Order: sequence, then structure tokens, then C-alpha cells
Amino acid sequence: MAGPSSYDVVVIGGGVTGAGVARDLSLRGLSVLLLEKGDWGAGTSGASSWMIHGGLRYLEFDWDTTRLSNVDSGHIVTIARNLVTRVVFIVPVLPGDKNNIEEVETALEVYDRYQPLKHSHPHRRLTSDEAHQVEPGLTPDLVGAMTVEEWGVDPHRLVYANVQDAVAHGAQAMNHTRVIELIKDAGKVIGVRFRAPDGEISEARARAVVNASGPWAPEVGAMAGVSIHLRPAKGIHIVYPHRISNFSITAESVDGRDLLMVAHAGFTLLGTTDDDFYGDLDSVDVLEDEVDYLLQGFERVFPSIRQYRPVRTTTGVRPTLFKWRRYEDELSRQFAVIDHAGEGADGLISIAGGKLSMYRLMAEETSDAICARLGHQVKSTTAGRPLPGNESDPVPVAELASRCGISGLAVVKLQSRHGSNAEKVLDEGATSRILCRCEPVTEAELTYAARHEQVRTLADAFRRVGVAGGPCAGAACILRSAEVLGRELGWSASQRFDAAREFVRGAWLGRAPVLGNAGWAQEELAQGAMRGLMLVDGTR
Amino acid sequence: MGRADSLVKLAWAYGLHLARRRLRRTRSQLRDVYATYNPEGIRAVEPAQRERHPRLVTCINCGLCALAAGRIGQTRLPDLASSYMRLYPRLGEASFDVAGDSPDLVAATAVCPVGLPLAEVAEVVRRMTMR
Repeated sequence: MAGPSSYDVVVIGGGVTGAGVARDLSLRGLSVLLLEKGDWGAGTSGASSWMIHGGLRYLEFDWDTTRLSNVDSGHIVTIARNLVTRVVFIVPVLPGDKNNIEEVETALEVYDRYQPLKHSHPHRRLTSDEAHQVEPGLTPDLVGAMTVEEWGVDPHRLVYANVQDAVAHGAQAMNHTRVIELIKDAGKVIGVRFRAPDGEISEARARAVVNASGPWAPEVGAMAGVSIHLRPAKGIHIVYPHRISNFSITAESVDGRDLLMVAHAGFTLLGTTDDDFYGDLDSVDVLEDEVDYLLQGFERVFPSIRQYRPVRTTTGVRPTLFKWRRYEDELSRQFAVIDHAGEGADGLISIAGGKLSMYRLMAEETSDAICARLGHQVKSTTAGRPLPGNESDPVPVAELASRCGISGLAVVKLQSRHGSNAEKVLDEGATSRILCRCEPVTEAELTYAARHEQVRTLADAFRRVGVAGGPCAGAACILRSAEVLGRELGWSASQRFDAAREFVRGAWLGRAPVLGNAGWAQEELAQGAMRGLMLVDGTR
Repeated sequence: MGRADSLVKLAWAYGLHLARRRLRRTRSQLRDVYATYNPEGIRAVEPAQRERHPRLVTCINCGLCALAAGRIGQTRLPDLASSYMRLYPRLGEASFDVAGDSPDLVAATAVCPVGLPLAEVAEVVRRMTMR
């Protein structure tokens, strides 16, 4: 076992909140160690709806939460310009909906007061005919519709940008590193013991430890003998590898919940469910019933939905704060910063609850609590300080495409991930050959990710640069990607093949619940292209 | 308390909204929608193409069309269907990728195992790339 190293703060959990805390504290001049048991943003953050929203539905519960959410969304949109895209919803109103069209417009009029805080336009009201002109796929049974704006974000890149900035300001960040013990001394948490990817166990001593592990927070809390009461809620999304509608669309589920079909840049997320979850957080399955529940809700407003071929599903568990006698959907999305000093775990602070849209604020308040404990009088600067890749404007697409010999679309996608650092990525020295044609991703970008962005598996590559994220789900690129990554990480030929098989097996779990006829055709093609080597389901 | 307060304020806003709707003449806001969102590339699929749209996105990236007909502009045909047809709002910035001559799209469609109408796909993509 390696000897202990010392930090001001150890942060456990590399989701968006943990990464945000690490960035905030590093910018305030504290030494930080950030530990994540899987990959950055691979848990709840990555399984979100990929949205920075202002919390329209909170108007029913607490207007101040809506205001705060809009303020913080505005900060995120400003500091992460390359990672966000405008998401414009059509809110169709049908006869018999739970809210009539005047009630819907009232809520949007109130919401318009907060929209400027996140650089969004006010709502527009459309008649049924007008709504069909802008979104012809809507059901004919419309009373009318509204538009409302939110922002889409790539949560994987958002998490990593926070990690990257924390590291640039002196933090140490390790993914695939599991905390196995909180070290206590006389009722005080003084550090952590953790297992690195190579199996080596090490210790880190710290003046404070932050538990930012989302739904795993009770598990980490238990290591220090404290109880954290959450009400974990499972949510799934169906992923379509194209935009299938002009606008994003809202719908009502059979039990009256709000559902969203979010048209992101080049793909569509349809979600989400919200169910109490009692199972294993490391193994959350998607059920075909959940898929049908979502499709049923959307079929009512967008009848052709079942004609489209989904490419996979995602699932995650929200770390919702505990409350008795509430339906899952009615639970508050507020967050709590919990100091465990009074529970015999002095030095341990947990952050629980909240949403992706408010991650920066959650990180700031957690960091404030840490700084108050440590007597460190420095204020947060994360609201106005650009994340990496946003320090300057990116090079025009045509110029970079011509200089590097790649397509304009490849540049657009590269800039959406790396912003003004795109050129640096392409200058990595590797070939700019296109590796994943659907996305598209260059070999240089994957090489850069392996060398500089802590990509250690093909699933990490999927999250960091989008390899295998398109319509073919990796059929055409996963073996090539394994070659490139293997070359960088020193894998043998069999390790490269095993890595590809592991990726295909993991992807299969998310794809199986949504395979229809066209999906099976794609699956057969993929199996054929890989000569059956990737067969993941022996029963077929 | 927070919820009761919110509901009261919403009820007040609702009353004001109804009064305004009665007193003011309403006008079409369709032009505002187009003016706001067309520059963002958000309006993509037109009504005439809507019904056929599910068929236009069925590419399984087998690559046969590339063997049959090659490229459209600088772009390989499978990329046209599997990548450009994903309707990115920023596609206009990559318009030079698909500028130039069209190959024999009838031949490309004939070899497609899922019967993708490539001429129609090309038309949608080219329209999307026009700013």
C-alpha cells in the first residue's frame, strides 16, 4: 500500500456536482483530490435529459426555486458556450389535458419573467393550424400550442470540463478509483482509503471530505457511520440517433406526468420515467414496460413516434431528498448541504438532491461550507469564469476544415466538444482520419482523449468524444476505435478485442429493450460485419 | 407554505391573463416563431416531407451505396444518410461538404438493403445546409 498523501479536501464522486466542487475549491486555492469509482459523469449526470432548464414546473411549488434555477442556468450557458444548444419546445395542448390552454399560457407568462436570466426568448402562442405548420408531425387533435425555450447540454463534456479546469488549477483527479474506506480518528473524518484501477490501495489525508456521490451518498455516509436519507428515483430515456421532430415536444403520460421529447443537436431523447428505486445502484435495468409507457404518452401528441428506430436507452437514479407521502414526481428537486459534525463524523460534508441545471450553485454552496470550516476566506468565481474551450471564439468551421483536411461537419462536432481548443486537439500529431463516421470523430480526437482526457475504456471514449454514438451504434467503428485506444494505452491484440466485446456487451443491455424490426436488421448487420465475434446474447 | 403561496400567485396571474385575453386583440405569432428560430436552423422537416421522414432515417450504415455511387460533393453517401441526415442545427456551417455534383442516386438507392430513397435524403440535407 502506498503511503498517504495530503490534501485540503478530498471529493468523492465525479458526477457534475463533485466535479463542480473540485473546480470551485481549486479556483479558491485549496488542494483537492477528486475520486470517481467509474468514469466522469457516468452515473446520474450522464443519464439526465441533457438539459439546463429553468424549472418551469417548480412554479407550482416555489417560485424562488425557478428564479434560482434560471439564474444558475444563465451562468452555465455563459461559461460553457460550446457545450450548450438552444432547445425549443412546442407545448401542444389537447382537449382533456390536465391544464387548458389559458392555464398553460399563464404559467409561461410567469416563466417569461425569468427567461432573460438564462438568455432565452419569451414564449409564443400558436393556433392549431400554425402549430402544424411548424411541427407537421403533431396530432390533428390540437387546441393550440406554445413555444418555450430551454438549453441542451452535453453532460459528459460538462463534467469533464469541470474536472479539466480543476486539474488546471492544481487538483488531482482520478477516475476508475473506488473509495473503500473513510479514515476516522477520534470522531473526525481525516481521509480516505481508495483502490486505483491497477488494484493498488492508497490513502489520502484531508482536512475535509466531501461526499458528492449522488444516489451512492448513503453508501459513502455509512463508511463514516452516518445516515443520509434519500428517496432514489429511477428514470429512463429512449435515444433516437436523429432529430425526429423540428422542435422538442412535451406530452402527458397516461398518469398525467409531464414527458419530454428533446431534440438535441443530431439526436433525440425521449423521457422520462420517475419511479422509486430500491435495487442495486450499479445494475439498473430498463424494462420494456417503461419503454411502452413513454411511447404511449408520445403517441398521443406525435403519432408517428413508433415508426422511428431507437438506438438505445439510458437509465439513471436521481438522488432525491427523502420525503414521505409524496408521489415520486412531486418530490422537490431542491438540494441540501449536510455537515455531519453533529453525528460523530466531523470533517465530512455531504451534498444531496438537486439537479444538473443547478450543479454550479450546489458546488458553490458546498464549497462555501467547506471554506467556512477550514477558515479559508475566498469567494467562488465559477459563475463568471469560462470553462476550458470557452476562453476565446473558435476558428471558423471552413477555415479549420480546410487546414486539417476534414469535413465541415466533423469540425462542427469537434468544436461542440472542445470549443476553442479544437485546433489543439487536431494538432495532437495523429492522423485526422475519420474513425467514427456517424458522429463523426477523428482518430486525432480519440488519441487526444486517451493521452489527455483520462479515457481508459471504450465506454469512456463514448462519453468523452462520442465514439459509437450514432445510428450504427458502433457497428462500423468499435473495432477501429479499440485499435487506436489500444495503441495509446498499450493493450495487446487480445486486450483490444476484449475491450471491444465488453463495450458491445454493455451497449447491448441498453439497446435490447428498444429493438424493433429495423433495430434487429441493424443488429444482424453489426453481427455479420464483425463475423459473429461480438455475439453477446447466446440465446439468439 | 411555499406551495400555497405559489398557487395563489398563479391564480392571480391566471385572472390577469384571462382579463388581458378579453381586452386585447390577439395577433398571429407564427412570424415571430420563424424570425426567432429559423436563423438557429431549428425549422428542419417541412410538412410535405413529414410523413416520409421515418423512412429517410433508416440507414444502417452498411456502405453499399458508396460502392454503387461514390460521393455527393466531398461526402461519402453513407455519411449523407447516417450523419448529415441527423439534422444538426449548425449544418449550415458545413454546407461546402455537400456542394457539387450528385452521383447516380438511383443506382445507390437500388442497392440499399433498407430501401432508403437517397435522392430525397440528399434534397433534405442540401436544403438544411442552406442558411
